[in-house]
Amino acid sequence: MSKKTNKNTWRKLDNSAKIFPLSESKKYSTVFRYSVVLKEDIDKAVLEKAVEKALLRYKAFKVKLKRGIFWYYLEQNLKKAIVREESDYPCKRIDPIYSNDYLFSVTYFERKINIEIFHSLTDGNGGLIFFREIVYNYLEMKHKELLDKEERKTRKVEFDTEDSYIANFNKKSKKNDENKKAYILKGKELKFNQVSVNHLLINNYDLKNECTKYDMSTTQYLTSVLIWSIYNANILKNTKTIKNKKPIKVCIPVNLKKYFRSKTMSNFFSYISVDAEMDTCVSFEKITLFVKSEFEKKLTEEEMLKTMSDTVKIGKNLFISSIPLSLKKIIIRSVYAEIQKHLSITYSNIGKVGIIGKYQDYIDYFLFLIAPENIEKIKCSSCTYLDKVIFTFTSILNDNDIERFFYNFLRSQNVKVEVESNEILDSIEGGEKNDISQKNK
Amino acid sequence: MIYPKKISSKKIDTFIKIFSLSVVVISIILLVINYLTTPNIYWSHLCICSLLYIYLTVRYSINRTRNISGFIVVQIILLTVLIYFIDYQIGYTGWSISVALPIIIIISNITMFILTIINYKNYGKYAINQLIIVLLSLSTIYFIHKGIISSNTLIKTSIIISIFNFLVSLILCYKDFKEEIIRKTNI
Repeated sequence: MSKKTNKNTWRKLDNSAKIFPLSESKKYSTVFRYSVVLKEDIDKAVLEKAVEKALLRYKAFKVKLKRGIFWYYLEQNLKKAIVREESDYPCKRIDPIYSNDYLFSVTYFERKINIEIFHSLTDGNGGLIFFREIVYNYLEMKHKELLDKEERKTRKVEFDTEDSYIANFNKKSKKNDENKKAYILKGKELKFNQVSVNHLLINNYDLKNECTKYDMSTTQYLTSVLIWSIYNANILKNTKTIKNKKPIKVCIPVNLKKYFRSKTMSNFFSYISVDAEMDTCVSFEKITLFVKSEFEKKLTEEEMLKTMSDTVKIGKNLFISSIPLSLKKIIIRSVYAEIQKHLSITYSNIGKVGIIGKYQDYIDYFLFLIAPENIEKIKCSSCTYLDKVIFTFTSILNDNDIERFFYNFLRSQNVKVEVESNEILDSIEGGEKNDISQKNK
Repeated sequence: MIYPKKISSKKIDTFIKIFSLSVVVISIILLVINYLTTPNIYWSHLCICSLLYIYLTVRYSINRTRNISGFIVVQIILLTVLIYFIDYQIGYTGWSISVALPIIIIISNITMFILTIINYKNYGKYAINQLIIVLLSLSTIYFIHKGIISSNTLIKTSIIISIFNFLVSLILCYKDFKEEIIRKTNI
């Protein structure tokens, strides 16, 4: 898709990416963050060089967002990327003034390196590839002895920026969705644009044992725990009766590269929605059975193709395309505000973060965070690094009842969990372990 | 601890908040003074309109992602609205459209011409804005046609200069212009 001129290059936004600049705002940033916690303090000068080097290899990230008459597009950015010390809540809107127009922002704090990425640039997978490159570069520059011992071949990068949605969609595919509104999490919101973060560092061995008990994958099991937590810590707490309550709908993003051939660094993801009605939520076992069947039913190539094709059809619609950008922005924002009411929460599991050989010695763990917003007040994400599954809650709610229930539930199942947080709210550790064990019985 | 305890608000955000609040407070004070001292002469409206012009100019200038030709187009639009409002407030005679607007367009054309010569490699980036200036200058034909203003030499000159400037730039930098149009109009 990249078009060459004698000066600089530009490319169209992929089908998914088109929507983000139109719908984003200060309160809906569509930004996700990766962090790595090292075993040593970060050196800013080295980090700056590591980012520059990574940009030389992954040119798809060396871009800025420009306004067209009908759509935004990406143009080559000749400025230097900025590295700053972390000074804001995570996943806030990336202001071009502070990022030198880049659609990502690299920050650091003590032992931690963060990258925040605007979703128009890439999805979680592409973001992780780029972030890993920065981490590798940083460690190689900081510990030169690694380069001699370790053979990280600088293979030719085969990734491209094709719009894999257009390349793979099927004109005839149709999704038959009855689209009911979802239960929206209740509770007072935090003030001053605060974001509360809780990372649950879960022992992967214990978790795997639990998953085996229910014959489920990690994502399925954690989705079940999440639904169970929402039901107990938010619905039952805030309502007198569960009659006529809307279902808890959990949005699970899916990496489409697992289903279709693609080497793109642009977005190529879809999602499934696990819709748990109130009568499903009466016991954890019932939820696990339901979640399993939903995944089996919806997580298929055919279903993915239907969802993807529906989105592509909208993006390619000539009438929608020909609406001027400013007007499109107003329309999309109001439509999006309605669409968001069809989801209770998002849980994105990026899976295993693979780091090779000796580099592991310098790394404690990775974190993955996604931005909460007005409707989906809590968003959950997870990644796996070595023996830890790091499950993260990012929230704008002024209580952490769901997080606490989730944590206590895992503990009640004899799963070892440690907690790291940004201490906006009280710690979720300790408390109601017995209550939850009883509820589960 | 893996998160900073102290979250600092961004300096520009604070500046914008203080600046916006100041504009609102000053406007209210001016209105109150106006109605208390000289209720028959609405001088405060002119001051508020000028304040609004300054406010919008500053807000636009803060965003460094815009290029200078975009700034010129925004200035044409803001100044035209400001001058039209002044004309309207002091008993409309039409000088804002028949005299001030053509002068603004001629000056902006000269500026764009200088910009193109200095920075001809980036002409593509100015192309769309130069096209907007042509369209703005042609808009005066509408006012003449509707009988709001009568045709005069200044208006004709501004239209001719705009078209000439645009055509010269187009001939010199056709490839860049075409490329920019393709980028901006991608569907």
